[in-house]
Amino acid sequence: MSCAQAAVRNPAADPLLTLRARPRRIALLGNANVGKSVLFGRLTGQYAVVSNYPGTTVSVTKGRAMMGGEVCELIDTPGVTALEGALTEDELVARRILDRGEADVVIQVSDARNLRRALMLTSQLASCGRPMVLALNMVDEARAHGVVIDAAALSTRLGIPVIETVATEGRGVGELREAIARAAVPSCGEAHRGNHARLAHDLAIQYRRHRPHSAARAQERIGRWVREPLTGLPILALVLYGMYLAVGVFGAQTLVGLLEAGLFEAVVNPGAAALVNRAVPWALAREFLVGEYGLVSMGLTYAIAIVLPVVATFFFVFGFLEDSGYIPRLAIFSDRIFRTMGLNGKAVLPMVLGLGCDTMATMTTRILGTPKERLIAVLLLALGIPCSAQLATILGILGGVSFAALVTLFGVVLLQMFLVGFLAARAIPGERSEFIMELPPLRWPQLGNVVRKTLLRVRWYLGEAVPLFLFGTALLFVLDRVGLLARLTSAVEPLVVGLLGLPAHAAAVFIMGFLRRDYGAAGLFQMSKAGELDGVQAVVALTVMTLFVPCVANFLMMVKEQGLKAALRILGVVTVIAIGTGTVLNAVLRGLRVAF
Amino acid sequence: MSPSEKTRRLLNLNPGVSGRVVRVTRENPDRADRLIALGVTPGAVVTVLQRFPGVVFLCDHTELAVEPAVARAIVVEIE
Repeated sequence: MSCAQAAVRNPAADPLLTLRARPRRIALLGNANVGKSVLFGRLTGQYAVVSNYPGTTVSVTKGRAMMGGEVCELIDTPGVTALEGALTEDELVARRILDRGEADVVIQVSDARNLRRALMLTSQLASCGRPMVLALNMVDEARAHGVVIDAAALSTRLGIPVIETVATEGRGVGELREAIARAAVPSCGEAHRGNHARLAHDLAIQYRRHRPHSAARAQERIGRWVREPLTGLPILALVLYGMYLAVGVFGAQTLVGLLEAGLFEAVVNPGAAALVNRAVPWALAREFLVGEYGLVSMGLTYAIAIVLPVVATFFFVFGFLEDSGYIPRLAIFSDRIFRTMGLNGKAVLPMVLGLGCDTMATMTTRILGTPKERLIAVLLLALGIPCSAQLATILGILGGVSFAALVTLFGVVLLQMFLVGFLAARAIPGERSEFIMELPPLRWPQLGNVVRKTLLRVRWYLGEAVPLFLFGTALLFVLDRVGLLARLTSAVEPLVVGLLGLPAHAAAVFIMGFLRRDYGAAGLFQMSKAGELDGVQAVVALTVMTLFVPCVANFLMMVKEQGLKAALRILGVVTVIAIGTGTVLNAVLRGLRVAF
Repeated sequence: MSPSEKTRRLLNLNPGVSGRVVRVTRENPDRADRLIALGVTPGAVVTVLQRFPGVVFLCDHTELAVEPAVARAIVVEIE
């Protein structure tokens, strides 16, 4: 395979001041999880989301950086394992950047511990004919593992700059900026013609040495505990319990209590009401702002006081787990189960991410191997995975009911997901891909990165969810005013009251839930606090809400990833399953006379 | 002993046992290509870390988790 060859001048011969029609474009390219995004951040001063597992960068990010004495455009790309042969979507993205000449220079970022793999990619890049620089990143960790690379000799052999870096600390970044001027097409020699693996193997043996080491022993031991079922499953239980304490107790109870009762009910809402009553002469406008379906009294209270604290604590805990490298290890335990659902262990990544936000997770289904897997994963995310905002309200309501109620809800939802996955695996044509997954190293997360990621995601939540909350509130207000809410409510009343055994008032909540299910769940939270729901009603209502499609944003992402037809089908299937499950659950719980 | 007697499938190695990759069988070419891209190439040293609930092995400094069918495709030579 050959790339479109570009005529390349020797950049080293350029005068000090270079005039160009457009800035030079430099692409960061490399295996997954080698620190491209960290390096991107170092070079541009701009933050790209960084996580300790492959697949975080799903699209191309661009930024500006001073490189080799001039302002360049820097392109961060998703990680690749190969650039030739059967390529994944991410690899096609990288391949296209090379083929279409969208990058003038390539910086190959590599994990110094895995020189052989890195060189295999270098060999493939060489046949593309782009001038490049090789960054051996994480040399500190490599040394800790006893790996030493003769960078100077390797540089001479390949005819390209080879720079050792530790991107997280900024080491070697200055050298890398300067090295751009000396970028060249690697000369791989004729001996291995086309056999990238052989070349990489020979070079690695020649330029890499192993020293005895002891520094990484602790890491290895922890890795074993996490991986083996006898110790790994108790650790998983502990992690889940820790998450429950942080998100369910501290976030959903302590923080929500402070914000809702302490701030909104005591200060903001009465204050806003007083202000509005004095300043706004029209009764209708007053109602619109601080009435039953008021923008402040309902929209803002839900978004800021009930959902935000939980989302923020969840994102923090999740960011911590992400950076520790723990989450991908769950794939080892879940591979068998996922295989019966037409997926493989890798699907654990989007599923766990979905606990943060289903919309983000729907986007990351791209890391899965086949169209069939992506469709099943999107369906299961829409069906069963409650996002953090919703998890919050679930924990808030059922935490007050009983532990058995919580177990019932999650049991029913998990069972439903498994059944649907099992059937989908058989009904949807196509193949699943095999489970082959690289486990990132276990690390103690950097607090700074976790905080930054949390803030970025919270800001994203505020930008994404709050407008929808306000829009939803405004919509409810209008529906209520023109009398449509009453009519809609009475139209779905037989369903809500008859089949699900809920108060008629809950119908309005389900209409809200269609916009965002956490918004609907927040409505349920208010109802349950007002004593309008008994235990069984709370469990049934929340189960139906959990099984609903998460929110309008998620639906739009489904359309984007799977097309309108598939998205509408998923919506239909999920809605029927949600209501059907709620009906059966209500009948069973009432029949057995369960009282939570 | 002839060389063929010393070759085993990665799936059948006990945890802690190391070997050198001889080849990756090509009945599924995509799988073989992916393994090679991940560094599982002839000559690479691999060490099995665990077999249950999934096969986990070390290749260079990369920990790889695979399903049994994949581990069966990797032919190694015990030293």
